[in-house]
Amino acid sequence: MGRKMIRFKINGVEKIVEVEPNKTLLWLIREELKLKGTKKACERGDCGLCTVLLNGEPVKSCLVLAVEVDGSEILTVEGLARDGELAPIQRSFIEHGALQCGFCTPAFLIVGHWLINKNPNPSREEVVEAMNGILCRCTGYKSIIDAIIDAAKNMRRA
Amino acid sequence: MLPKFEYYSPATLSEALELLERYGEDAKIIAGGTDLLVSMRDRLLKPKNLIDIKKIPDLRQIEYKEGVGITIGAAVTYKDMLEHPIMEKKYRVLCEAVRTIGDIVLRNRATLVGNICNASPAADSAPPLLILDARVRIINKNDGVREVPLERFFIGVKKTILKPTEIVKEVFIPEPPTNYYGKYVKMMRVLSEDLTVVGVAGLAYRDKGELIVRLAFSSVAPTPIRVREVEEVFKKKDMPIDKKIEEAVKISSEKVSPISDVRGSAEYRLNLVKVATTRLLKELVGVV
Amino acid sequence: MEALKYVGKSITRIDALEKVLGIAEYASDIELPGMLHAKLLLSPHAHAKIISINYEKALTVPKVVSVAVGDDFPSRVGLYVNDRNVLAKKKVRWAGEPVAAVVAEDLEAAEEAVELIEVEYEPLPAVLDVREALKPGSPLVHEELGEYAHSPAFNPIPGTNIANRFTLKKGNIVEGFNKSDVIVENEFYMPQVSHVPMETHVCIGHYMADGNIKIWTSAQSPFTVRYILSHSLGIPLHKISIYTPHVGGGFGGKAGINFEPLVVLLSKKAGYRPVRLELTREEHFLAAPLRQGFYAKVKTGVTRDGKIMAEKLFYAFDAGAYADYGVNVARAAGYSCTGPYYVPNIETESLAVYTNHQWGTAFRGFGHFEFLWAIERQMEILASELSMDPVEFRLKNALLPGLTTATGEVLREDAGRIDQCINAVAEELRWGEKPLTKDTKKVRAKGIAALWKAPAMPPNAASAAIIKFNEDGTILLSVGVTEIGQGTVTSLAQIAAEELGVPVEKIKVVPFRHTDLTPYSWQTVASRNLFMEGRAVIRAARDAKEQILEIASQVLRAPKDDLIIRDEKVWVKGRPEWSLHLKDIVAGYVYPNGNTIGGPIIGRGYFVGTRLSYLDPETGQGYPALKWTFGAQGVEIELDLETGEVKVLKLVSAFDVGKAINPMLVVGQIIGGGIQSLSLGVWEQYVYDDKGKMLNPNLTDYKIARAGDIPEEIVPIIIENPQSDGPYGARGVAELSMLSVPAAIANAIFHATGVNINDLPLTYENIWKALNRKR
Repeated sequence: MGRKMIRFKINGVEKIVEVEPNKTLLWLIREELKLKGTKKACERGDCGLCTVLLNGEPVKSCLVLAVEVDGSEILTVEGLARDGELAPIQRSFIEHGALQCGFCTPAFLIVGHWLINKNPNPSREEVVEAMNGILCRCTGYKSIIDAIIDAAKNMRRA
Repeated sequence: MLPKFEYYSPATLSEALELLERYGEDAKIIAGGTDLLVSMRDRLLKPKNLIDIKKIPDLRQIEYKEGVGITIGAAVTYKDMLEHPIMEKKYRVLCEAVRTIGDIVLRNRATLVGNICNASPAADSAPPLLILDARVRIINKNDGVREVPLERFFIGVKKTILKPTEIVKEVFIPEPPTNYYGKYVKMMRVLSEDLTVVGVAGLAYRDKGELIVRLAFSSVAPTPIRVREVEEVFKKKDMPIDKKIEEAVKISSEKVSPISDVRGSAEYRLNLVKVATTRLLKELVGVV
Repeated sequence: MEALKYVGKSITRIDALEKVLGIAEYASDIELPGMLHAKLLLSPHAHAKIISINYEKALTVPKVVSVAVGDDFPSRVGLYVNDRNVLAKKKVRWAGEPVAAVVAEDLEAAEEAVELIEVEYEPLPAVLDVREALKPGSPLVHEELGEYAHSPAFNPIPGTNIANRFTLKKGNIVEGFNKSDVIVENEFYMPQVSHVPMETHVCIGHYMADGNIKIWTSAQSPFTVRYILSHSLGIPLHKISIYTPHVGGGFGGKAGINFEPLVVLLSKKAGYRPVRLELTREEHFLAAPLRQGFYAKVKTGVTRDGKIMAEKLFYAFDAGAYADYGVNVARAAGYSCTGPYYVPNIETESLAVYTNHQWGTAFRGFGHFEFLWAIERQMEILASELSMDPVEFRLKNALLPGLTTATGEVLREDAGRIDQCINAVAEELRWGEKPLTKDTKKVRAKGIAALWKAPAMPPNAASAAIIKFNEDGTILLSVGVTEIGQGTVTSLAQIAAEELGVPVEKIKVVPFRHTDLTPYSWQTVASRNLFMEGRAVIRAARDAKEQILEIASQVLRAPKDDLIIRDEKVWVKGRPEWSLHLKDIVAGYVYPNGNTIGGPIIGRGYFVGTRLSYLDPETGQGYPALKWTFGAQGVEIELDLETGEVKVLKLVSAFDVGKAINPMLVVGQIIGGGIQSLSLGVWEQYVYDDKGKMLNPNLTDYKIARAGDIPEEIVPIIIENPQSDGPYGARGVAELSMLSVPAAIANAIFHATGVNINDLPLTYENIWKALNRKR
């Protein structure tokens, strides 16, 4: 199987990696780069826990081949806080207790972060639509939706 | 882990066609990958070569010509499609259906042409495309482009007329009827998102005062189907509209052949066909 | 009485920061040097003899280190009945049972090799229904049941498929029915369902060459894993170490011992190297243990004016291929059998039954989600028979303090108030006000269901706590309860802060469990840990304070009862100028001339339930319950009569938690459990073909609630009637929150349509079918 050299930026850091075609972006992130914040929970695009930002857009990294990210920029949960400052979405999740076991939290943070930056005043329906692709078994979603709406409000105020 | 394969990312359409010609049976096209990679992970498909078409500019075009129609390239994602200003304006029923596919994140990668080529009987984009008279443009290395109505593209469960050395270049949807009203109803097992249990797309418009209705279904036959007999019913003279709707629903329930599977029984699906179609038709005739 | 400073406050959970940063450690994140990867081969048959297993070809795959089959491992494991093979031996008992395991240098090689293993099976008749399994002549899942060692608390019946038979008798059932004016009998059913934790089962086992065993696992009860492994392999406890970091969801599915013995034994076979096993989502659906399925027959006798006189209950749990917790689920359902009502005459038989389904384990609610489905539906049907309002009927029979439970326990004065819970829900739902329906095809209705539960645990279940002071006066709190998302440790830190007079920010709860280091906790289950660990933490704090006062008394030259500890200082009452900083005491006090007294302070405390007892083997009488938590749940629904689609518009839940140590965490449990309950009741089920093969082992077709599925309005109500022996009056709520939503929905459907649906799940199709049957 022909290995390919890929060059990309992840959380602002440039990386050059040689990778086999059958490895997914999720594998690249967790196994090659050892960034464990992004989770593996179904590998079929059902659960959404592998979601990262690829060139600014959320994608399910289990359904992206690593070779496809050559020349791309990736953001994972580890890249949300900058210089020790939490992103507004992270602060909001803490305040609202919008997490329990935490396994789904990185995915919700990534999509939430993307949503409130793209749409500064999302309606509850828009938040739910954006979050429908990510499963949570612990919280019942209400605190997560509240946290995202609140984070958007705080961003508008800032 | 995915099975092993060689990966190609051609920069032009002719390169892609050359690769297809060479590897044909042993190759699969990958665009969004949201169906293909799942099938590969499940070991239902083990192509030795993947040809990625996302870098081909020719396939990423979405072009509208007033009075003619819109062309959506094979690598155009649902997201790109939905963001195109004309789509919501002229092809709303398709947009409505596409927005029920997966979730917003999936739609950043998945493609309309991919949905058609996957040819699931439950393909949500298909019923609206069928009633909008969509046509599929197929190309291979030697023969150039040929155009086929979507209705003739599907030939069975996950089966199309595509040969291994062929690729769908784009989907063409002609200019829709003026002032039509269309809707896609997707019956699911839950409120949030699901594969379709029963899907029905309908549109209606007035042509010189005459009411024209079109209806197509997903998940109730081996392929998505447009029930043309229904269209005849609405053309009948001297039949009250309520009776037309009743007749249309009756014919639809005879033309569909839902199966029982883990998502629903044939009996329940048939009930949904009747209920959803009745409600949809009532809404369509109410608006138009 | 001073106002509480930390207890009762909604402080942010202490692990929130690491979780939002994506740096919280889970077992699935751990990598070890020299680690190997295992992949399982699962049985395609529900019941079959294993004729032969040929793995020659698998061994030829590069990077494959070894292949193991059932015969490689001599001993069985079991929580209460020693019935489970680590890999199937002689026969397979469910479609999905692991038959072989490949160990390789990487996962890809292991996956490739698994496909090359050839197994020859001889299919046997399978028993796929719990009622069939009880019929004489049914295929036996365990022919050798009589040979298995088992805990004396349970009664497996050799020669049958009964893993445990629990019976309970109270009063005189015949007289009870004689005194009844109306007798109603109904059957109820629910299928098996999965926990669907977001993190699947994952563990790493390392059998070391020196005979020590190390395990890293996503598990709720590391001490149970250690104990069962020790018992099964004959290795003393001190040679086994279990490490458990954050768990990505447990819900009971990780409460016991699952794949740890397998990886440990694979490690030995693979040359004493660590072996990692992580189940894919499909493997989790097919090979991990589930919630038992349930069938019930409930016969109730009531007087014309609404008093329950007698109840005859038959509960049968489809425990699947191995008994695991199933025997205790049957027992717990057996002794709680009536629900939160006073019933003077009871006869109960509760069975855990083997079938050729996937094995069942603990699941949040532990038999109560199941039997409350039956009881709460029956209550609605009874009320209807009597033309009584269902809320009034429940209140009339409410099990209030002073009344006797099914096991003969007189409910203590401060046991909690089911009537207040029911009334709170009814009031919030505006019970009595008929909801407005605008559409003739869509009807709106309301439904209520009550609930209760006590921890299902042996009388000697214990918790312990250690409080260690650091030299700067900060504190390490070490407990055995695992962090599975419920956040108990935050509440425990609050309790410690309150007791010690130290700000909660200065208390760190040790963020992992290690059986060598962190103190014992029986298991993280049963909604027991806040209560039990809470009491242990209070005792540990008082123990530490004793030691501190001992030293401070000497230094301050004042008697201990004249000293107080507050705001990180010790001072003489009334004389704040005569004080010492805690940090100057807790590592030993040094006088100006260098003399040192005292030493590093370690406070310790333990807790077991007071006077809990075994139950009489015939009558089930005794004291099993540490504490009872009562609650009620209610819904307003909209029902589409033509499609069966049911939408919950409003979900209300009230629980008498005694004291909300951290109200935000309590609300988190109430809402999370409520949605899980809704999801389980409406959308979830294991669908099998007629050969017992599961047809929906993925998240596309095993549907759990998503953000778009939750009710528009969710109202959590906290009621606080403190329980005097609970920590600051607290009881426990984590399981209670998911017990009765399906019953409330079905009750609402009944009110909307007059149709009784007594089987779960309440899928739109099932509702439509039920409505249609009526027509």
